[in-house]
Amino acid sequence: MSCNTSVTHVHVSSVDQAQKAPVHLIPCEIEHNGPAQVSQYFTATIKDRKHEKTVSFRGRGLKGQELSCPQGYTGLVLKEINKPGSDQEDRTVKVSSVFDKLTYWNLETPPNSDDTVVRAMDWPDLAEAVSTFNKINLKFMVQ
Amino acid sequence: MATKKRRTPNIQSDSWVVIAAGSVIDSQMHDSNPAFVRLRNPSTDEASLYMLGSCDEQLYEVKAFDEDFHSWFVGQTVQRDGRLLFVTPMDPLYLILPYLIKSGKEGKFQPVDQVVMDEEFPACCRLLRCTRSLASLHHIAEEKEVGGLKFHRYSEEKTMNWLQKKVERTVVALKKRNISVGEGVKSTTYVRVKSESDYCEEDYLRYAHGLISEYISEDLSKALLRHLQLPELTSPKETEPPSKKRKLSDKPVEAGEDYTKFNSADFARKPPKKMTAAQKTLAKVDKTGMKPMSSFFSPKVKVEKK
Repeated sequence: MSCNTSVTHVHVSSVDQAQKAPVHLIPCEIEHNGPAQVSQYFTATIKDRKHEKTVSFRGRGLKGQELSCPQGYTGLVLKEINKPGSDQEDRTVKVSSVFDKLTYWNLETPPNSDDTVVRAMDWPDLAEAVSTFNKINLKFMVQ
Repeated sequence: MATKKRRTPNIQSDSWVVIAAGSVIDSQMHDSNPAFVRLRNPSTDEASLYMLGSCDEQLYEVKAFDEDFHSWFVGQTVQRDGRLLFVTPMDPLYLILPYLIKSGKEGKFQPVDQVVMDEEFPACCRLLRCTRSLASLHHIAEEKEVGGLKFHRYSEEKTMNWLQKKVERTVVALKKRNISVGEGVKSTTYVRVKSESDYCEEDYLRYAHGLISEYISEDLSKALLRHLQLPELTSPKETEPPSKKRKLSDKPVEAGEDYTKFNSADFARKPPKKMTAAQKTLAKVDKTGMKPMSSFFSPKVKVEKK
């Protein structure tokens, strides 16, 4: 059970250097981690219509929508630095990017308020009722 | 003819997309970093991932929103792991409670720092450093002060009242957010077919009870149901509260697993079976010790009305 003792430190000071990055949730699993020419082949072909964005990705039509982070919350992309050799050592992550909104994409179906990721954004608000202490705290968190 | 494609195991992932309470990164006043730690999940009794804020002031829970077949584009990079992690503040009393209950069986008043100890999860003593932990122990325990020292003994009565308040607050939040809680929720579509007024108070109470049950033991969950004067639902399959459904979603929790290794080979995805959207959501397996959000999305239980 030794791995229960290892903790993962979050270098918060790195948030100052973190760049705002456009973040897209894509409705397919891409078997790759690492660089890709996203702006050249994806972002550049997005069509922005009144209520929805559309894009063609690998021949499939995607429909997307922008989604803001809940109030009082920040989007962070955490990245591990200096991976340790064993699972007993502490790990460290830094904030590599920040975002205040993300774009999620559906395959074919138009985005709507019942999409699960939209509903997921309700979670922080609900979590504060379910699992925090009191209103005072809630205000403190939102500040 | 479609050929079955073998998925390569995802072992290289070293980044995570997170939505975190602003207080997590508000480091202005502090010089110590927040940290992800493993602590005993009061509901499953297994390891789950939590976060302790700077100087341990605040406990956060970590939940993974996970839909099959999703990946991220972050700037000019691809991140295969399509999960979205939520880091939200959490009342440390939930995690302290099981230790008090355990020691309460001896019936003695004890110093709380001798009670909240765990060989398996040494970080648990840090829970007592959270700003409100010590000051709010009286919600779940009787207090005695002798010679400037405080001693505590678990009180079920107090705990029930404390949990009832949580349920009531959750009901308010559910109504405010217009979250579907009734049987009208069609599990396959999530379409909100009923307006708020169509749900009865019991639907809300049961839903809230289900959410809170994610944070307490099964025994306590049952006791809370009685305390709320909600009859236990009879037919086991159809009428289990959302809390029970986590059994389904949490089954293969490999909580002891280091969370950075969550996609190692043994987690290679199985070929997808035909599932409804709801089943998919329920089947989200927490492979990492992070709690899935499935209970929140689970279709509400049919309440038998007689």
